[in-house]
Amino acid sequence: MSLEGKLALVTGSGRGIGRAIALKLASQGADIVVDFFRHRESAEQTAKDVQALGVKAEVIRANVGDAAKIDELFDTIGNKFGHLDILINNAASGVGRPLADIDVKAWEWTMDINARALLLCAQRAAKLMEGRGGKIVSISSLGSRFALPNYTVVGVSKAALEALTRYLAIELAPQGICVNAVAASAVLTDALKFYFKEGLAKDSSYVTPAGRMVAPEDVANVVAFLCSEEAFMIRGQTVIVDGGTSVGLLALAGTQEKQT
Amino acid sequence: MNVEEQIKDILARITRVDKNIITRESTFKEIKADSLDVVQALVAVEETFGIEIPDEDAQKFQNFGDFVSYVESRVPQKEKV
Repeated sequence: MSLEGKLALVTGSGRGIGRAIALKLASQGADIVVDFFRHRESAEQTAKDVQALGVKAEVIRANVGDAAKIDELFDTIGNKFGHLDILINNAASGVGRPLADIDVKAWEWTMDINARALLLCAQRAAKLMEGRGGKIVSISSLGSRFALPNYTVVGVSKAALEALTRYLAIELAPQGICVNAVAASAVLTDALKFYFKEGLAKDSSYVTPAGRMVAPEDVANVVAFLCSEEAFMIRGQTVIVDGGTSVGLLALAGTQEKQT
Repeated sequence: MNVEEQIKDILARITRVDKNIITRESTFKEIKADSLDVVQALVAVEETFGIEIPDEDAQKFQNFGDFVSYVESRVPQKEKV
């Protein structure tokens, strides 16, 4: 699989899954636009590591929860490169609260970043992919279909993202744009390590039937496949990367037990 | 209005607390600002003053005074440029 000469935008690629995807696509020859919102140092580190793989990296700051910032992001890409081949809609945020404590602010913040951003980014990306086709891959989570503790807003936003993925896949198919998503269970990132540190989650709760936690690279490998021509006939799907967690009822029951 | 008053207004609007209870010694917890409030306040302050406050810097703020001092130190710097 080679992505040589392709240009990929990876939203939220300073850290975690986004960073792993940026590095994976770069290792296959793609130039990378590293988008970040809050962590400039991390984004610049990702860009350096991308460049070390022999491809170009451009760092752009944009909060994808803000429609005007999305426009600025794509204006910059359009002016600088004139095209785009791959959009990875990875940036995410959320508020971990019980249902009763979810207010309008938390709902809108989460939905805007996790779901609306895909719509707005895909609209702008499709224009930059005109005449050349492209790939759009979003990052979802198991919370889109399973009710996880204190995960309501994020779970609902991911369900919206997966539904939007199906609609985009059909509407953008005539333009040669493949649209898919990858849903992961808990992935070992700095964000999750923070939860461990704060005592909000135990790492033992996330061991999968495959025998270990999902790593960012596991997600990145599947994203890279969906960006390849080998995946041309996969459209509008959400591929689950969870080491078997969601199909193993006993494993799921074990997870619940350990969390209580 | 000076920098401190402007940031106080932003924080009070976002957290819906009385701005008069906010002092330089107030922690975000005392102002009842949760993590989402803090991020939204940082973004609002960034837009108001035309500066960038990366999380790497924001995480060092112990109280409101640290936040104000940081912004004050950055605003003249930007104006000089």
